[in-house]
Formats: sequence, C-alpha cells, structure tokens
Amino acid sequence: MIEVKGLSKSYGQTKAVDDVDLSIEKGELFGLLGPNGSGKTTIIKMLTGQIKPTSGTLKVHGINVLEDPLRVRELVGIIPEQETPPSFLTAEEYLHFVAKVRKMEHYEKVCDKWFEFFDFEDQKTSLCKDLSRGTRQKLMFAQAFLHEPELAIIDEPLINLDPVMQRKVKDFLRGYVEDGGTIFISTHILEIAKEICTNIGIIYRGKLIHTGRFDDPELQGKNFEDFFLELVSRWKGVSKEILKEPPKGISALV
Amino acid sequence: MFDIFKSMIKEEWRMHSSLFGHSGFALFPVFIFLFTFFVSLVLPVFRDIVTDVQIALGMHYLFLLVGAMAGAFGLMGRELMNRRFGQASLIAYSSRVLPVSERFIFANFLGKDIVYYFIFYILPFVTGFALAAEFVSAGNFGALSTLMTLLLTLSLSFMIGISAIFFLSTVYAHSGKISLFCLFAASFLLLHISGNLNQGTLYDLPSFSFFLVQSENQLLLSGVLILVPSALSLIFLKIDFPQAQKSFSNSFSKLCRYLGSYRYAAFVAKDSIDLKRSEGGLGKIIFSFVLPLLLVWTLLSALGKVIPALSTLTLFALVLGVLSSSMYNWLTEYDIFASYAFLPLKASDMIKSKLNSYLILNLIPLTILTMLALKKDPSSLVPSLLLFLTISFYMVSVLIYLTGLSPSINLYNGKTFAIYTLSVMPLLMLNIILSMFGSYYALVDLLLVPFALYLLGKGFRKWDRNECRCF
Repeated sequence: MIEVKGLSKSYGQTKAVDDVDLSIEKGELFGLLGPNGSGKTTIIKMLTGQIKPTSGTLKVHGINVLEDPLRVRELVGIIPEQETPPSFLTAEEYLHFVAKVRKMEHYEKVCDKWFEFFDFEDQKTSLCKDLSRGTRQKLMFAQAFLHEPELAIIDEPLINLDPVMQRKVKDFLRGYVEDGGTIFISTHILEIAKEICTNIGIIYRGKLIHTGRFDDPELQGKNFEDFFLELVSRWKGVSKEILKEPPKGISALV
Repeated sequence: MFDIFKSMIKEEWRMHSSLFGHSGFALFPVFIFLFTFFVSLVLPVFRDIVTDVQIALGMHYLFLLVGAMAGAFGLMGRELMNRRFGQASLIAYSSRVLPVSERFIFANFLGKDIVYYFIFYILPFVTGFALAAEFVSAGNFGALSTLMTLLLTLSLSFMIGISAIFFLSTVYAHSGKISLFCLFAASFLLLHISGNLNQGTLYDLPSFSFFLVQSENQLLLSGVLILVPSALSLIFLKIDFPQAQKSFSNSFSKLCRYLGSYRYAAFVAKDSIDLKRSEGGLGKIIFSFVLPLLLVWTLLSALGKVIPALSTLTLFALVLGVLSSSMYNWLTEYDIFASYAFLPLKASDMIKSKLNSYLILNLIPLTILTMLALKKDPSSLVPSLLLFLTISFYMVSVLIYLTGLSPSINLYNGKTFAIYTLSVMPLLMLNIILSMFGSYYALVDLLLVPFALYLLGKGFRKWDRNECRCF
C-alpha cells in the first residue's frame, strides 16, 4: 500500500527526514512513533504529496506520489495534524463541501451517519469556528472516511478526543483494518500504538530507527516504554535512565 | 519592567518577518517612504481641486483609520493568528499562563503598537512627504516647523484611533453589539442636537485642529481622547468576548443546487457564505466598496470640471477596475490553503475558484458603471465597460501572480509591493493620458488580456510549485 525508499527532506541545513525506507502492506494498522519534532508530520505531508521530498521515492496505492499527488489524495483519507476546517461553514456544510470536492453523489445520508457515529448531531448547524477542538477533530475524522478510502493516513488520531470517543475511534480503526482497510497513524503516545497498531516504526530526529510487528520476538516480554526509551537513548548517546527518570527536584531543571 | 514590552516588539517583528523574511519586511517602511515621496511629487497637480487643508485633513483621517485597524487586528487577531501560524498565540493573550495582570499586558500592548507603527508607518510617511517638499512647491507644508507638527499630529491621530478602538472593543466585550450601536447613535444625536453635525464636524478632530492652529486646548483635548478611553479600557478590561454560538441552516447545499453542475459550484457557494457570515456581512460591500466609489465619482466630477479633457466616466471606469481588485482580497481572507491541502486539490484549483467568485462579484461594479454610463453618456457605455473589464482582469492577474491566495499578507513584503506598484502605476498613468484622445482608446487595453492570461498561467504554475506553509 505504501512503499518509501531513501526518503529525505531538508530545510536548509536541517534534515527533517533522513533516508527513510518503509513498506506498509494492505491490512496493516501501522503506527509511526516518535517524540515531538522527530519528522512524523513531514513524512505524512510527503506521503500525501503536500510537500516534495529532497530525495527518495514514494508510492502510495502503487501511484508515484511525486508524479500524481492529486490521484493519491483522491484515493486516500487524510487527517492533518491541525484541525482547520473553514471558519464560516457549519459542520454539516463542511462535510457536504468535502463530499462535493470528492465528487461524491448522494452523500447526505453518509454525512448524517458520521454525525450520529460521533454523537454531535446537535452541532451540525454550528459554524466550524465555534466548535471545540475535540468536535473539530471528530469533523476531520468524518471528512477523511466520507469516501470510504482503502487507506487512511492520520496524524495524531486521538488528539483532543475525550475517553469515550477515544475508545470509539480505536474500535472503529481496528474494525476498519479487519474489514480490509489499511491505516497509517503517527503518534507520540506509546499507549495508543500499543493498543491498536499491528506494526510500528520508530522515528527519531528524522531517522527511522526501528520497524517491526508488535508480536516480534524482540518485543516479547518487554515493557514497550522501556524498549522505546532504550532505542532513543542509544541513538541519542545517553543512558535510558536519564530519559526515563524525572529530574530530582526543581534545581535539576534550573 | 520592560521585558514584556521588548518581547512584544520582538514578537511583532518576528510575526511579520517569518512571513516575508527579514529583508522583505524591513523594506516595507522604505517603500512607504518612496511611495509617499513620489505621490507627494504630483501633489501640485491636484492643488486646483483640493486645498492644503483638505490634504492635511485626509492625512489625519488616514492615520486615525490606521490606528483603528492596528488596534482591531491586535485585539481580535487571535483567530487569524491561529489560522496563519497554527496554534500560536500573541503574548497579549498570555495572562492566563503568566503571573502578570491582564491590565499590565495590555498597557504594554498599547505602547508597543504606538512605537511600532510610528517607526513603520508614520515616520517614513512624513519623511517621504518632507523630502518631496524639497523638490516641488509644497505650499503651506514647506516649513520644517509645519512638518514637525505634522509628525506630532499624525501620531496623535493614530493614537486616538487605537485608543478609540480599544475602548469600543471594551464596550463590546461587556455589553455586545447593541450597546455599541447605542453609543454611536447617541454620539450622532448629541452632535445633531448641538447643531454640529455637518461637514465642519470632520475638522473637529483635535489632532487636526492642533495642526491648523497650535492651541494648548486642542493638544490637551487630543491627550484626553487618547488617555481617557485607554484608561477606561484598562480599568474595565475583559479579554474574552462573549460568543453566542449561532446556528445556520444548510445554505451551502441550496446554493450548490442553484449553481448546478458548474465546475466551481462548491467553491463559489462557500465563498458567498463566507462573505455573508463574516464580520460586517454583506454590509461591508456597501461600506468598503460602494461608498468609496461614490466619493471617487464626486472627486472625479470635480476633476473633470478643472481639466475638461479628462472624461469623468472613462476615469471612473479605470478607478473602478483598480478598486474592484480589492474584492479578491475579501475572497481570500477567510481561509488558507492548508485547510484544503489534504483534499484532491491544487493551489491553482483554489485560485481558479476564487477567480470565478471574483468575476461574479464584478457584476456589482459592472452594474454601477452601466447605470452611470446610461445616465451620463450612453455613447461611452461600451468603451467604459471594456476599460473596466480589462483593467479589473489585469489587476487581479497581477495580484494572483504576485501574491497567490494571500494578497493581504504577501503585499506587505516590500519587494512584492514595489513590483505590484510598478506593474500597475505606469499603466494607469498611460491610461489617463490616452483617455484624453477619446473613450475608444480603451480598445488598446484589449492588449492587456493576453498578457493577463499569460500572468495567470504563470501564477498558477508558480503557486502549485510553492510548498504549503500553512497559509
């Protein structure tokens, strides 16, 4: 579903993404994990043709992203990092707008289904600018799955959602993959990945430092947080205890 | 004590320079200086229709307006900030996370705006004007003491504007739109009862009165108009404006049905909803477009009397074409490309959709021009319409090529603004000269159409290549 080879992105002297190879098969729920600023969003933007890589090749759905980014965005459902629906449309109008852009027909019922699923039918007629961030995230979720894509790429899927909605979304994503869909999520919250992902990649300072399945023998019997910190500390060149242990007293910070 | 003030100055600088680069933004005051200089050089031409006092009046009200706009952006710009810079916020809104009172932060905010705009707008404006006064007959403006007074009184006008908007926003924050309306109505009523509501009222702006006659009373009154509203606003400061969540029925689907299978139906419907539901609603078309046009028509009629060779209708069509391009700014104000970058759309698709909405909006000036032409000189109808359409199309093409989907931001780049002015001003001057040879000279402007189309094509490719930076 996704084939990435030698992917790099530089901004001046800064390498945001550095020589990443990645392969994601149909039916995987892949989680790209990494600390803030490690390059997760940059990879997503390159995968969806929003920005161009400095070097490397990308194929999504077998399509070369660099050659036909529009076709990729037609086929894929995308939830960006920041929820920015246009201000002066209502939530319902926004979904109808997205459906029109995606050239869907008879979309009204599909939209209503999403309002019902996320339990925010009472906000249908409110302007997007007046919605809470959580509700905006629900709206962005709905727009991404409106056209029932085979692949969805989601940047921080559970951000701003309350625990009830988080559970609902996690169940939905699992079910979606069971039904043959493929999901690529990025997150810095390890618990989310541990709970729902089948495969993971760990990125640190633009380098993909680990890829594998959750049922890999390497991970068996290990605390995932420890495993993550160990990998990061190895790359950072410091002891994992330094990353794990909280500073002793405020004097350690100042 | 001055840490917050210094941080706010840095923040303002970085906010602009992150958009245009340090040199791009630093060039802006240079451009204001050059622009004022060159415009001031042609002032003697206009002396026959406007007096020095009227020119000074215009300057003082211009800076009153700049002050009001600067205050409004600072106070209400959080939404805009978030859309342009992600989840960023101004230091002005940081009282909830810093152990500093809101009053202290806003007193600094007010001080910062005054210093900042003085350096970036008022000083280059007056300096450009002063330099031009060295080369042309500057009438009453020639003396150094007059220029120094102008610098002071324009600054006072700016400060009156900013403190007035600060005060009005405080009233609004406490009592909403109705109180604001009552305040305006009461002011007009008082002026009417006292017999002062006439043309002369405009001359009562204390900073302007002080410019005309240096009296202590006017200076004191200016000080009162700056300090009292600011002090009242600080005492009764309330940051969160009450926001009633409004509900709207689905106009989008209705509009799409009307527009049928038209390719840009969804975008045009969205644009018209944006215009209708944004602050000011459709009223802003009347206040920021139709009313200035009436003023332009009045001025051009006066000019026509002084220089009979100039056709009022032809010049009006020309100005109409220029002013119409500001409608493209309205259309691009309400959203950013980042809101669509994850959909199967290119930047050029968005620009094309805005261009479609722009052409539809052009029906308003087209109707105004047709009505005026039919009333004043039906024989000039065709060339006037032709002139308006070609100039409007050319102007918007230049704007699109240079600024893409963010004209109101990208034009603040000194270099871009300079190129824009150079692409437009000589053409307008040439049109004014050619118009003296009869209205059918407008046929020559048809040559602009292929050039505008070329610019558009180039602009589409340019903005498609440009990586989305959240705006």
